[in-house]
Amino acid sequence: MAKGDQDPGGAGTTRVETEIPRNWIIARLDDLVNWARRGSLWPMPFGTACCAIEMMATAASKYDMARYGMERMGYTPRQADVMLVAGRVAYKMAPVMRRIWDQMPQPKWCLSMGACASTGGVFDTYTMVQGIDTIVPVDVYVPGCPPRPEQLLYGLLMIQEKIRGESFKDPRPRAEGPEDVAKPQLSPEDVELVASPFGNSTFQNRVSGLESSSPILRPGDRKE
Amino acid sequence: MSSTTTSDNIDKGAGPVAPGERQDVAQLKTKFGPAIRSIELDAADEPVVYIAPDRNTEILQYLRDEQGYDMLRDVTGLDWGGGRPIQVVYELWASERRLPLRVKAEVPPSNPRLQTAFGIWHAANWLEREAYDMFGVKFDGHPDLRRILMPENYEEGYPLRKDFPLRGRFTRAEQTRRALARDLEDIYSLEELAVASRETRTAPRGLGVTAEIPTDVPDLEAKHMILNIGPQHPATHGVLRLVVELDGETIVKCTPHIGYLHTGFEKLSEYRTWNQVIPLTDRMDYLAPMIYNIGYALGVEKLLGLEVTPRCKVIRVICMELNRIFSHLIWIGTTAIDIGAFTPFLYTFEERERIYNLHEAYTGARMTTSVSRIGGMMADVPPGWLDAVRYFIETFPNTLDEVERLLSQNAIWIGRTQGVGVMGAAEATNAGLCGPNLRASGVPYDVRKDNPYLEYETYDFDVPIGEYGDVYDRYLVRMEEMRQSVRIIEQALDRVPDGPINVKDDRVILPPKSRVMNSIDGMIAHFKLVMEGLKVPAGETWYSVESSKGELGFYLVSDGGPKPVRCRYRGPSFMNMSNLPALVKGELVADIIAVNASIDIVLGEIDR
Ligand code: SF4
Repeated sequence: MAKGDQDPGGAGTTRVETEIPRNWIIARLDDLVNWARRGSLWPMPFGTACCAIEMMATAASKYDMARYGMERMGYTPRQADVMLVAGRVAYKMAPVMRRIWDQMPQPKWCLSMGACASTGGVFDTYTMVQGIDTIVPVDVYVPGCPPRPEQLLYGLLMIQEKIRGESFKDPRPRAEGPEDVAKPQLSPEDVELVASPFGNSTFQNRVSGLESSSPILRPGDRKE
Repeated sequence: MSSTTTSDNIDKGAGPVAPGERQDVAQLKTKFGPAIRSIELDAADEPVVYIAPDRNTEILQYLRDEQGYDMLRDVTGLDWGGGRPIQVVYELWASERRLPLRVKAEVPPSNPRLQTAFGIWHAANWLEREAYDMFGVKFDGHPDLRRILMPENYEEGYPLRKDFPLRGRFTRAEQTRRALARDLEDIYSLEELAVASRETRTAPRGLGVTAEIPTDVPDLEAKHMILNIGPQHPATHGVLRLVVELDGETIVKCTPHIGYLHTGFEKLSEYRTWNQVIPLTDRMDYLAPMIYNIGYALGVEKLLGLEVTPRCKVIRVICMELNRIFSHLIWIGTTAIDIGAFTPFLYTFEERERIYNLHEAYTGARMTTSVSRIGGMMADVPPGWLDAVRYFIETFPNTLDEVERLLSQNAIWIGRTQGVGVMGAAEATNAGLCGPNLRASGVPYDVRKDNPYLEYETYDFDVPIGEYGDVYDRYLVRMEEMRQSVRIIEQALDRVPDGPINVKDDRVILPPKSRVMNSIDGMIAHFKLVMEGLKVPAGETWYSVESSKGELGFYLVSDGGPKPVRCRYRGPSFMNMSNLPALVKGELVADIIAVNASIDIVLGEIDR
C-alpha cells in the first residue's frame, strides 16, 4: 500500500498503516499456498517389498517422519498428497498403482523409493516394471537398495523444496485429464528407451515428463 | 504349552547306501515293479525315484499310507531344455522316521499332464498351481487349476521353461500397455463374479413402493456379498489381495490372490553365477535376510560336498537366530497393530533398530545383508561385534517381558485371538502348514531338531508347541521361540572358536589379496574364480533350514557349469498362505485380519 501523504482521506490511511503490523501479513499467494502445501504433506504409502520395511522404520520411533508435517499416513489415496512407491512393482501390480495415482486429487507428488521402483533394479525380468516413471510421473527418485530412512527423509525434503518453487499460475505440473486415466506415462518408444539395460538410470531426467518449474535446490543449499 | 527336547541321534538307516538299498525304496520297487523306472542318489545320497507318470497318484498314495510320508514338502518342475521331458518333482518327508524322499515323474513338454496329488496331500493345492503357472504342467482333477503368480490372462508362456527368455517374449512397451489395459475387475475369478451379480431379486413383497426401486440395484436381501481386501491395504502386510465371500459377517469363502510382487527370482537365478545369487536371496525374505543367505549357501555347499570351518558354523548360527528374533519382532509389532494395540510396535521397533545396527556393523547394510558366501561368510565379524550381540541378548528379554505383559493377559487381545483360526495337528500336517504355525497346532516338527544342520543338535534348546492351534497359540509359540533363540545365541557365543572364517579352497573362496599380489598361483586362482565362476559338480540336492516362518527349502540343480540349472525356493510363507482359506472359514470378517497376521507372511517370499 502506497503511502498516502497527499491523500485527502488521510485519517483512513493512517488507520490502515497502523493496522498492518498488528493483523496483516502481506505475502505472495504462491508463497502462502506453497508453504501450506509443503508443511502438511500426507503420504500415501504404496509399499510393496523390502523398501517398505525401511519406510516403516522411517515412520517408527527413531526417525519419525511426522516431524516434517507427514503426520498422517493416508491409507486412502483420496486424502493423500504424495505417493511413496517403495519396492518392486510387478506388471500385475502396475494397473493398481496407476489407479491409486489416478484416484489421488491434485495437487499430488510422487516419490520413487529404491532402485527397483526407480529403474527395476537388479530385476530385469519378465515380470518387473522397469521404472515406475513409465506408469506414473515421478518427482523425486531416492536411490538405494533399500535407501536408508535418512535418505527417504531427504527425498521428502526435496519434494518440499520442489513445492517451494512451484507457481500457482503454471498449470503444467498439475495438468491431468480424464483421458489420462489408466494410461502409461510414457510413449512406447520411451518405455523401450528406459527399459534398455541402464536405460532408466541414464535417461531419467529426459523422460520423466515433469519439468521442474524452478531449479531444485538441495535442502542444505537453501539460502535464507 | 508343552515342549520336547528330542535331540537324540537320527536313525537314517545304514548311512550312505547304494541305489535301492534303502528299505522303503526297495519295498516300493517290489510293489510297483516297472512303474518305478529308475532310482538314483542325489548329492546328499538321498534316493530319487523316477516313476511312471500315469501311475503317480497310486504310488504317492502308497507312500503316504504305507510308508508314512505324511508331509508333502514341495511339488515343482524342472526343465532341462532342448525338448527333453519336464520333470515334476515331489519332495516328501516321513516325520516318524525322519526320512526324505524325492519322487520324479517325467512328462513330455508338448503335453505335460499328470493326475493331481491334491486328494492325498492338501498341500499340493497351491504347489501344483505354481507348477502349472511356471511350467504348464496340467494336473487333472485339481480343484482350481488357475495361474497363481502371473496374471490369469498372461499370454507370453510358461516363464520357467528354458525356452522362455528372461525378459519375456513381448517388448517392454507391449508389456506395459497390456498391464495397464487390464481391467481391474477382470481379475476376479468367474465364480466370484457370479456371486457378486447373482440374481436374487424376487417378486416385490407388497410394500407398495416397488415402482420406485430401480431394477439394477442389487437386492439387500441378496444372500452373499463379495468383499475385496487389497492388494494395496495396510492390513494385508504387503501386496496381498483377499476376495472374501460373506454371509452377513461370516466368511463363507476366502480366496487369496497372490503374485502382485512376483519378481522372477527363480528365473533370474538361472542367469546368475552361484555366488551372484546370494544378493537375490535376502530380497525374498527381507524380514529375516540372513536366514535366506545362509540357507542358500548351505545348499550349494551340500552340492559341492564342502564343509565350512568351525568358526563359520557358529557365526552362522548366531546370525540365523538373531534373524529369527528380528523377524518375530516385526511380526509381533504389526500383528498387534492389526488387532488394535499400537504400543508393542514402538517397543519392538526399538529392538529391531538395535539388530539393524548389528547388521550394519557386520555387513554394511541394514536389511539387504548378503552376509554369506559359498564356503564361508563375506568377512569375519568385526572386532567387538560378538560383545555387542551379547549385550543385545542380555537386555533384549526385558523388552520381551514388557511386550508380554502388555499382551498375554490383555482381555482384548485374548478375546480377539483365542479360539480364532484353529487348525488341528493332522490337518495342518497334511495341508503343509509349517513353522511356528504348525507347532502351534501341536506338531513338534522343527528342522533344527528333525534334520539338524550347522550342528544344531549340539545346542540345548526347546521347541515350544501349542495345544489349540489358534491365533493365541501362535503368538505364544513365537514369544517362546524368541527366548529359545536367545538361549541358542548364548551358547553359541560361549563357544565361538578362533580360526579362519572361510574354507581354504581356491576353487571356492577368493584367496587373500596378499597371495594374489605376491604369488602366481594365488593370481591364477583369483582370475579363474572371477572370470569363470565357481564350478559346482553336476547333481541336485534339497536342503532345508528352519527359517523364522517355517521350513525353507532350497532345491538346487547343477549341470556342472558356472550357473544353476534350477534354483527352487520353497518358501514357508507360501505354504502358510495357502492355508488361509481353511483357517478363516466360518470366522467373522474381522478375524480375517487377525488370522492373516498370525500366520506371519512375507509377500516377497510368497510371490518370489
Ligand atoms: S530397491 Fe532393493 S530393497 Fe528396495 S525393493 Fe528393490 S530389492 Fe528391495
